[in-house]
Amino acid sequence: MTVNILGIETSCDETAAAVVQNGRHILSNVVNSQIDIHRLFGGVVPEVASRKHVENIGLVVEQAIKDSGLSYADLDAVAVTNRPGLIGALLVGLSFAKAFAFTLDKPLITVNHLYGHIYANLLEHPQLEFPVVCLVVSGGHTSLLLMHSESEYELIGETLDDAAGEAFDKVARFLGLGYPGGPAVQKAAAAGQPGRFSLPRVFLHRDDFDFSFSGLKTAVMNEWRKAQQQGEANVYDMAAEFQNALVEVLVGKTMQAAEKYNARSVIMAGGVAANSLLRELMTRRGQELGKPVYYPSLPLCTDNAAMIAAAAYPLYLQGQFAPLNVNAQASL
Amino acid sequence: MYILAIDSATPVAGAALLRDEVLIAEAFANVGLTHSETLMPMVDRILKDTSLKARDVDVFAVTIGPGSFTGLRIGLAAAKGLALAADKPLIGISTLEVLAHNLSFSPLLVGTVLDARKGEIYGACFDVSQAYPQRLGEEMACSPESFCHHMDSLLEATGRSDLVLLGDGFITYRQQFAQHWGPKLKTVPLHQQLPRAASLASLARQRALQDDYDDRLLLRPTYIRLSEAQNRLGVGDL
Repeated sequence: MTVNILGIETSCDETAAAVVQNGRHILSNVVNSQIDIHRLFGGVVPEVASRKHVENIGLVVEQAIKDSGLSYADLDAVAVTNRPGLIGALLVGLSFAKAFAFTLDKPLITVNHLYGHIYANLLEHPQLEFPVVCLVVSGGHTSLLLMHSESEYELIGETLDDAAGEAFDKVARFLGLGYPGGPAVQKAAAAGQPGRFSLPRVFLHRDDFDFSFSGLKTAVMNEWRKAQQQGEANVYDMAAEFQNALVEVLVGKTMQAAEKYNARSVIMAGGVAANSLLRELMTRRGQELGKPVYYPSLPLCTDNAAMIAAAAYPLYLQGQFAPLNVNAQASL
Repeated sequence: MYILAIDSATPVAGAALLRDEVLIAEAFANVGLTHSETLMPMVDRILKDTSLKARDVDVFAVTIGPGSFTGLRIGLAAAKGLALAADKPLIGISTLEVLAHNLSFSPLLVGTVLDARKGEIYGACFDVSQAYPQRLGEEMACSPESFCHHMDSLLEATGRSDLVLLGDGFITYRQQFAQHWGPKLKTVPLHQQLPRAASLASLARQRALQDDYDDRLLLRPTYIRLSEAQNRLGVGDL
């Protein structure tokens, strides 16, 4: 049996559509990024993102179907992210998907964006073994999930305030490094030395799996002002210490969870999983503990709809379809 | 020719279906549920009632603004999904014009006003002396006071004395408007006060008869206002 699912994703600032066959084979993957627009504001502006989504949604979906080589009639279901994310942005994708599925007489499947990021790994690493501890880390999320199998998950920890990607953006803006913050901080950090500033590793030694990054951001500001008064404000050193402080907490917590739950693999997902220091440290710690670490290739790390279509496949097989009055949710 | 019209621009959600010159189904809800929950079930219901499929529809129509930003996007995203999947044309029509079309062949000047929050309204003025409304002046976002002055100058320019205001902005600012115009301001019966999908369908039919369609991929809402962030930064339209 062949199952072709059209995926649609508009939870933040990428308008995306993709067609995935049997949850594994990407037939098309179209992403329209608004990054150049939000750069003007130094961060994602929800109203502007929603306006761009409604302008682009038709074009993006049409392109994804065209690229897949399929006709509308070959589609078996329409999957869409309906949570969590920017509510106005989610509603564009959801409203379009409902009408599109309804008109084609195909089932509608609503997908949790976080599970989508997990499936980005399953798309590329079908060999990974369960149980899996998964770190989802992006501009909107910092969560640890324990996956018993492809379709059984539980949330074991999450950020209590800012997401890691948000912390990157805010610190980059404060230090005048540009937007988006992740790549900007990484670039500046490469020219600096960690350890010349001293920032806290927040929550690293607590025995739960929650995160907090807003205090780290405040610590950056305080340390920076102090250094400026003493005439020792080196932005590269600060970027390096900040990146280390954040990444060490992410790696430390993830590996603590992997040990506690006897995970056989560790996966990372979300835009911040593109950070090289995070990839390097997590992989090294994984090797030390005998737990292979997987992460998606760059195009599947950031928001995309292929991961949404892939995550919908097990739901399709279970017949978990959404009614026409289903709503979007900003939070989990 | 079947025309399916959907509207979620204001707190009202509506859907209507025309078969040639006959209105065969209409749904209206002003119940405070989010449009994401109400609009598509409404479309489903009127198509079921008429034993039609979405693919049988020849033309889709949607209110294109002004109105609630989120409401406009729910309506337009749904309309694009319908039109694209059915491979049929799409027509977007001003919410203010749809409201004005609640009245025809009347000598009264019509002001259509939507509650735009922040002490403002979205408004426009129409001549409805013929079957279809003719807009006089621009669509605007402004204070109720400014709109009163705008209407006064158009009353004078057209030599009219009496007017009527339609839309939820009239309900919000009723006292202010009544104070300004006194007995010159008339009130319509309740069934003409709020936007009706049937009015949208009627206007869409006039355009469809002339093959005057919008680009179903590129159509954008008419917000009138920029986002707060754009205003702050002074970047204009993006």
